[in-house]
Amino acid sequence: MTDTLREAYRVMRTIRAFEERVHDEFATGEIPGFLHLYAGEEASAAGVCAHLDDRDAVASTRRGHGHCIAKGVDVKAMMAEIYGRKTGSCHGKGGSMHIADLSKGMLGANGIIGGGPPLICGTALAAKQQNTGGVGVAFFGDGAGNRGTTLEALNLAAVWDLPALFIAENNGYAEATSSTWSVASDNIADRAAGFGVPGVIVDGFDFFAVHEAAGEAVERARDGGGPTLIEIKFTRHYGHFAGDRQTYRAGETADTRENIDCLTRFRERVTDSGELPGQVFDDIDAEIAKLIEDAVSEAKAAPKPTKEDLETDVYVSY
Amino acid sequence: MGETVAGIVANPASGRDIRRLVAQASVFPTAEKANMVQRLLAAFAVTGLDRALVSTDLGGISAAVLKALGRGGSWPTVDFCDDDPLTGTAADTTNAVRRMVEAGAGVIVVLGGDGTARVAAAACEDVPILALSTGTNNAFPQMREATVAGLAAGLIASGQVDPDLVTHRVSVLEVVTKARREIALVDVCVSSSRHIGARVLWDPASLTELYCTFAEPDGIGLSSVPGQLCPSPRSSPDGVALQLGPVDETPYVVHAPIAPGLVRPVGVRGWGVLTPGMRVELAASGGVIALDGERELELKTGESAFVELKPDGPWVVDVRAAMAEAARKGLLRTETEQGKERRR
Repeated sequence: MTDTLREAYRVMRTIRAFEERVHDEFATGEIPGFLHLYAGEEASAAGVCAHLDDRDAVASTRRGHGHCIAKGVDVKAMMAEIYGRKTGSCHGKGGSMHIADLSKGMLGANGIIGGGPPLICGTALAAKQQNTGGVGVAFFGDGAGNRGTTLEALNLAAVWDLPALFIAENNGYAEATSSTWSVASDNIADRAAGFGVPGVIVDGFDFFAVHEAAGEAVERARDGGGPTLIEIKFTRHYGHFAGDRQTYRAGETADTRENIDCLTRFRERVTDSGELPGQVFDDIDAEIAKLIEDAVSEAKAAPKPTKEDLETDVYVSY
Repeated sequence: MGETVAGIVANPASGRDIRRLVAQASVFPTAEKANMVQRLLAAFAVTGLDRALVSTDLGGISAAVLKALGRGGSWPTVDFCDDDPLTGTAADTTNAVRRMVEAGAGVIVVLGGDGTARVAAAACEDVPILALSTGTNNAFPQMREATVAGLAAGLIASGQVDPDLVTHRVSVLEVVTKARREIALVDVCVSSSRHIGARVLWDPASLTELYCTFAEPDGIGLSSVPGQLCPSPRSSPDGVALQLGPVDETPYVVHAPIAPGLVRPVGVRGWGVLTPGMRVELAASGGVIALDGERELELKTGESAFVELKPDGPWVVDVRAAMAEAARKGLLRTETEQGKERRR
C-alpha cells in the first residue's frame, strides 16, 4: 500500500510541478501556442490512472497534461512537445493540445470539446472483441458534458455494453461559463441514469475518493459489467488558459482554492495516519523538481522541426 | 399565534455516492427533489401556513423552485435562506437549519439521506424535524409521499395539531475525538480502513465495532445486522453494541442488507446492550469512524475516541400520528350545506 501512496503522490507532484513551470515559462513568450493548465485537478488523473495499465486507452481533453503524465507519457518528451521541438512526443508538431503517445495508450489531448468520448468507444470495442481485458477511459469537462458527441458515446457504450469509463471533470467552468448556469441537470452524473449507466459523484480534492470510485468502475468494466460515469467535482488553480484573468470568478479567492489543495490534503492525511513519514514527500518533491528542471533545459536545447519535416507524419499508421 | 413558519432543507448532494456503482442503489435526480419541495409547498398552502423558508443550493433545487414560484401558484410566502455563502458542503445544511430555527419555524422538513438528517438533527435544537428520504440507506428518513408529509408538517407548524401529541424525542450516538464532536442518528461503526475515501461503507470485511440507537429486523444499512440478531425497537431507550470480525473467525454470521442491492455476510463476535450515559472507548486508533453508514472521522495515530448513547436527540414528527390527529379534529374536512342538511 505504501508503494501505491508514494506513486500516487509522485504522479500528482509531477503534474503540479510541470504545470507551475510551464505557467511561468509561458509568460516569457518562449512557448508557442496555447496552454490549458491542469493544476488543482491532479487527484482525478492520478486516482483514475492508478488503476490502468498498458491494455487500457485514455482519451483526454485540451487540458491534457495531467492525463498524459498519469498515463505514463515521458515528461521530458512532453516538455519538448510543448516547446515545439523535434524530441517532443509528436516531434514538435502537436504542441500542448495534441500530446499523444499511442505506445502508452494515450490517444491524445484533444482540442475538440467532446472529442474524446467517441474515441474510447472504439478502443473499448476493440478490447471487448479481442478479449484483452482492457478498458477505454474518456476524460471530459463540464462543457463537453453538454455536447452531443459525449451523450452519443454514452449511449453507444451502454448499448454495446463496452468496458468504458466516462470521467466528467467538472471544474465549474466551461471556459468562462459557469456549469451551474449551463448544465440543465446541474449534475452531469444524473444524466447517466437516462442511459441505464451508473453515475456517481466524487470529491475531486480527495485522491482516496477518486481512487476508490475509479477502482470499482474499472473492475466492473474489466468483468464485463459495462460503462460507468464518474463526475469529479473540483476547481482549477489557474484560468481556462494560461494568462486568463478570470474576472468571471470574482466570488472565489485564490486563497480558498489553495486551502482545498489535493496535494496538501493527501500529504497531511498520509502522514497523520502514520502510513508515510514527511521525509518521503520532501524527497519526492526534490526529485521531481530536478526532473522538471532537466526537462525544460533539454527542451530548450533541442532542435526545432525543419522544413524537411513538413511532409512527414501527415498520416500515422496504427 | 403570530406568523406561522415551516422550513424545507433539500440536500443537492444526497443519493449520488458510489453505491450506485457497487450496489445498484436508486438514483434521485435534482428535478425530483425540486418536485418534492413543490409538493410540500402545495400542501403547506392547504394548511394555511403563512411562510415557508427554503434552503438554497448550487445543485439546482432552489433554482427550480424559484422558477416555479415565478409561474405563480397557491403557495404560502416562500423565502429562500440565502444569507450565508454556499460552501457545497454539509455546512450549507447546518446554516439553513439554524436560520430556520432563528426564524421560528414550527417544523423543518429535511430532504436527503441519513447523512443529511444527521447534520440537520445536530442543528435543529428543539424544532421537530420531518426527514424524507432522497438518499441511499435511509434507516432514519422515511420513504413517504411529500404531499402527505407536507400536510402533517403544515398542520403542526400552523398550530392546528399539537406537536406534543405527534412528535417524540429520539436517541443519538455522540462520538467525541480529540478535535471533533459529532452525532449519529442510527449507527456508529469503526472500520480498519485508513481513509474516508468515497465515504460510504460497502465492504463489511473492514468493520470491527458497531453501535446502534435502534435495530429493526426490516432495517436497511448497518443496523440491519443487529436487527436480525438482537433487535432493539426505536421506542427503547437502550441501543445495541456489537463486536465484528472476519466471517471465518466469529461465532455468528448475519446475512444483512447493509445497502440497497448488497446483502453481505457480516461476522459478529458478540453483542450487548448499550445503555444511555455509558461511555465506550472506540478501539479505532489509526482507523476510520463511520456515522450513519458514511466514513466521517479519520483518526490520527494514537488518537482516541469514545461513543455515548444520549437520550436528548432531535424531536421527530410522526406523520401517521399527525394525520390521525388531523382526522380526529376534522382539520382537513369542511361541512357543506348538503352535509348540514343531512345531519339535521
